[in-house]
Amino acid sequence: MKTKLSMIVLASMISAPSFAADIERNGFASIVAGQTTSSDQEFDGYTNDLTFDNGSIIGLQATSDLGNGLGMTAQIIAKGEDGWDPEFAWAYLSYDFTDDTRVLVGRQRAPFYMYSDYIDVSYAYPWITPPSGVYSLPFDAINGVSIIHSMQIGQFDTTTHVSYGQNSEPTEVLGELVDVDVESVVIGSFTANRDWLTLRAAYAVANVSFYGDEGSSIDQIADLAAIWEGLGYSNIANGLVSNSDQGSFLQVGFQIDHNDWLFVGEYTEVDLSDSVIGKDDSFYVMAGKRFDNIMLHVTYGQDNSAGKLLTSGITEPAFVDLVAATDAAMNSQNEDSNFATVGARWDFHEAAALKFEYTKHSDDLNGLNDADVVRMAFVTVF
Amino acid sequence: MKLIIKGVIVVISLMSSVVLAEVAVVVNTTNANSLANSDVSRIFLGKMKSFPDGSSTIPVNLESGSTVRGEFEEKALGKSSSQVKAYWSKQVFSGKGKPPKELASDADIIRFVSATPGAIGYVDATSVNDKVKVIAKY
Repeated sequence: MKTKLSMIVLASMISAPSFAADIERNGFASIVAGQTTSSDQEFDGYTNDLTFDNGSIIGLQATSDLGNGLGMTAQIIAKGEDGWDPEFAWAYLSYDFTDDTRVLVGRQRAPFYMYSDYIDVSYAYPWITPPSGVYSLPFDAINGVSIIHSMQIGQFDTTTHVSYGQNSEPTEVLGELVDVDVESVVIGSFTANRDWLTLRAAYAVANVSFYGDEGSSIDQIADLAAIWEGLGYSNIANGLVSNSDQGSFLQVGFQIDHNDWLFVGEYTEVDLSDSVIGKDDSFYVMAGKRFDNIMLHVTYGQDNSAGKLLTSGITEPAFVDLVAATDAAMNSQNEDSNFATVGARWDFHEAAALKFEYTKHSDDLNGLNDADVVRMAFVTVF
Repeated sequence: MKLIIKGVIVVISLMSSVVLAEVAVVVNTTNANSLANSDVSRIFLGKMKSFPDGSSTIPVNLESGSTVRGEFEEKALGKSSSQVKAYWSKQVFSGKGKPPKELASDADIIRFVSATPGAIGYVDATSVNDKVKVIAKY
């Protein structure tokens, strides 16, 4: 039903004549072809067989100016990896109190990362997609309200963006789609830009709950927690599951875009350490140089994540299996991996570019997860 | 050989001086503001929405693909046309702003600027007449 509705809106966005209100339509698309370089490698949806679905995306945006500072924006995107099912990425009302202060109400992008606002618009940045280790939160939109305020401070143009809302879409956790309630999300971000220098920081908190289907990993972990609870170890039970636990997110980043050089870096910390998800920190740094309409770039990044040891001090022989299962669950989220990407972007047309990327992923905990991925993309805005 | 190269360089620089016309940034004749080059850039990137006297800025672009626009973006904004396009796609798809509206010719820009108090545009310097005021040249 949801799909049908968005199909109708999509069709009307393409074909509808603009009525009295001034409707602007814009779109973007990435067609991505990618594969791993060897038959025993799999990474993030890529296998040794060339695929055109993973990472491919098309989006349409309609913005209607209703006058007196009031506007309506809707964005529908369809992703190849979701079988091209169109979905509303955004649908919000905006109101400009002044030239510098705008309020958004509705479904909107959650401003977690430097490239969050246009994360699906590959034309707007050098890579095919931003580094997945940092850009790893399983959701990127919230339903709620936000205030965006721009202000000049000294020589810097600054933007402060504060959002409040919630998200309760099925989300991928531990590799499975589960019901997630992310409630009372508060995200504050601050961006300062002067000529070639951009600095950004964001912080967010939210109450997070997971509900896995019967038999899912999350469900099994909940069963494990129930056993500990029954044995009187509620601290261990609480450390496994997230039942409205508070999670936090921190981001800092910079961008230097000077003459033909581009340097970008971002660091993030995701902390849901009172659950099996644990604490995860990631960063990447990127350097690129433009040669006329070609940009060459290199990126290096790391991801680290460690689950707590919940069972220290529990030595009862009867609990051996339970301890082993609990430790295995907590350790399943440990990660110590890094990647290096070399890539090129060729602006062969004023509204379209071709991109090439080679990424070497190394997993220091499990060499079987190592993978080399080559991708090529055609990206455009229209 | 050296002479030939020199000759080629001279020809290229002659050609480029023909192609690379001077760009004049123009405002309405009633506009008494003075602008630094960085202000011109910030206005055309949508970062500066009012003139120093507080009145709203209404920037207008020449059509994309026009030589004068390319010149202006290179010299005043310090960006290539595709960089400017990428910049505006960030603004548009983040719902934060939209690019200045486009007019087809220098004559259209001059007509619009002369009729609109807050307007600011750019034209080939040779197209300037007394209906508009030149506020900067590149």
